[in-house]
Amino acid sequence: MADFRLQRLPSATPAAALGARILAIALALIIAGVILAFVGKNPLALGLQVVTSSLGSSFGLEDLGLLVIPLILTGLSVTVAQQIGAWNIGAEGQFYAGAFAASAVGLFAPLSGGWSLVGMGVAGAFGGLVWILIPALARAYANVNELITTLLLNFVAILLVYYVSTDAWRERGGVANSATPRIKAEIPEFWGLVHWGLPIAVLLALAMAGLLAFTRWGYEVRLIGSNPAAGKYLGIAARRHLITVMLLSGAIAGLAGMLEIAGSVHRLQGGISNNYGYLGIMVAVLARGSSIGVIFAAALMAFILNSGIILQTQGLTTSTVLAITGLILFLTAIGDELSHYRVVRDKS
Amino acid sequence: MDLLTGLLTTAFLAGGVLALAAMGEVLAERVGVVNLGAEGLIAMGAITAVATVSAYPSPLVGFLAALCVGALFGALFALATVTIRANQVLCGLALTLIGTGLAQTIGKSYSGMPVAATFQGVEMPLLSKLPVIGPAFFSQNILVYLIYIILPFGLSYLMFRTRHGMNMRAVGENPAAADAAGIPVTLFRFGYVCAGAALAAGAGAYLVLAFVPAWSDGVVAGRGWIAVALVIFAGYRPIPAALSGLLFGFITALGFVGQARGWPIAPAFLSMLPYAGTIAFIIVPVIAWQRMRRLMAAPAALGQPYFRSVR
Repeated sequence: MADFRLQRLPSATPAAALGARILAIALALIIAGVILAFVGKNPLALGLQVVTSSLGSSFGLEDLGLLVIPLILTGLSVTVAQQIGAWNIGAEGQFYAGAFAASAVGLFAPLSGGWSLVGMGVAGAFGGLVWILIPALARAYANVNELITTLLLNFVAILLVYYVSTDAWRERGGVANSATPRIKAEIPEFWGLVHWGLPIAVLLALAMAGLLAFTRWGYEVRLIGSNPAAGKYLGIAARRHLITVMLLSGAIAGLAGMLEIAGSVHRLQGGISNNYGYLGIMVAVLARGSSIGVIFAAALMAFILNSGIILQTQGLTTSTVLAITGLILFLTAIGDELSHYRVVRDKS
Repeated sequence: MDLLTGLLTTAFLAGGVLALAAMGEVLAERVGVVNLGAEGLIAMGAITAVATVSAYPSPLVGFLAALCVGALFGALFALATVTIRANQVLCGLALTLIGTGLAQTIGKSYSGMPVAATFQGVEMPLLSKLPVIGPAFFSQNILVYLIYIILPFGLSYLMFRTRHGMNMRAVGENPAAADAAGIPVTLFRFGYVCAGAALAAGAGAYLVLAFVPAWSDGVVAGRGWIAVALVIFAGYRPIPAALSGLLFGFITALGFVGQARGWPIAPAFLSMLPYAGTIAFIIVPVIAWQRMRRLMAAPAALGQPYFRSVR
């Protein structure tokens, strides 16, 4: 007699986790397709349209290239914080704060050309850093849940950008009254619409992967993240690491905001982020803590986001993409747990 | 109407959303489950109520429909987090994305139109003649009695004065011990997650049926997240949860009054008040009253899935 039972492993194998992600995405798309079919659309035709228009032309690929830049960085931001066991749900707000600070430099600082870009980059990273400062200190010194504080600051940043773009810094006499004047300093393009922000984002992800894997600092950060008690006994300054890692996470998201301003939008306006901060959470979850994985996960999310933009002409909205993203996240979470199990056979 | 009465009237109205959602979150967190999907549940509740009353113009039916949809989404969330024991943070974020995205997709055809039927103010005999509190509380829609009196005191009695409530808290504090004592842990968790989700969706229905009588994409505006934060501020107790909802209703009302009276502050900054206030209110007490920490502590098993038989 052989009995089958489920056995739970302490950690899922990488192959099982990857399989769970692929299954989750496939299942989410099938569910979305069935719902689309119910409301009278042809999901297969829509799917074909998405694939041909985003992968079949250089325009489509350039759009993907533009979308992937902020997604790599917000995904990296969430991933970096995750390494030390912190949830940065505020990449959205830090993105806005970075865009705000970079625009301030771009609009008002007496710098020219390349120096203006450098100034904007520093300001953008600093803006994101400032935006996560209070949550980081509150978590480090008072153990206040950073998840909620980072998230609530998103709304403050969005309101701040809304205010300056429709009021204080508004372009007077412009066509639309809801954006700042055009910022002169621009990141040059190297391939169609795609600017040098893409290699910067990719290099930053690779650099983070290297720092985390091969330096003493990276080792200590990962150790505290996976076992805070062990870190304490080894005499690692956990609090200082927590603060620096969270500030770094904010600065990366802020830099994403700066690149979006200087690379593709060129003026500060409300809604500049396209939910990149929230989608960054999704990127980080799909990448499963790997900074290099972030690059691939961001490419995938860029494709999904781009699909939503293409399908807008078909009556779908970015909200629909948000819902589908949520569904993927939900199924991934379930799949992650289920991939811990294996069927074993009891011999008796 | 004088300034104070006006402020309090708006405070009770605006605070109702937060109070109801926060009490729902208290239910889930007391049995050990963090539901970060409150924001999405409020959005789903709101759009359910809007769609229901446009088909059948009764606010009560709209409210009940929202409760049902909330319980349904709660059941899905509980299936993932309680039965399958998937990561609660991820599932909660996913629920927020799904709820917000789905509600906005459905809401496109209702956007900008006034809601077909809303809860109207009812003047209570005698009580509504009281100064200040009479017009501010006893002339409001009937749901305020549910939100500020029946639910907080009822839930508080249930949680702290009955055996059932003790079992419920035990599930959140130490599920293994509760399990050993014969308390059905999974059933408790599943049930209260659903009930809490229903209340959060009810908060969404209240939002559009009693407070802002129109659907728009940004109508929820982070209230779900504020509610989640208020639960910490309220020490995981229903009566303080309702009161802190009222407090934040008051802060929201200050912003409205400021805009109406032309205070020399840009409206955007007044709109920041509830968010910045929430952050201050969850950080400051922890630093100021170290001794309160034990009293205000989260349930010990909060956020942890319970495995009975893992070896």
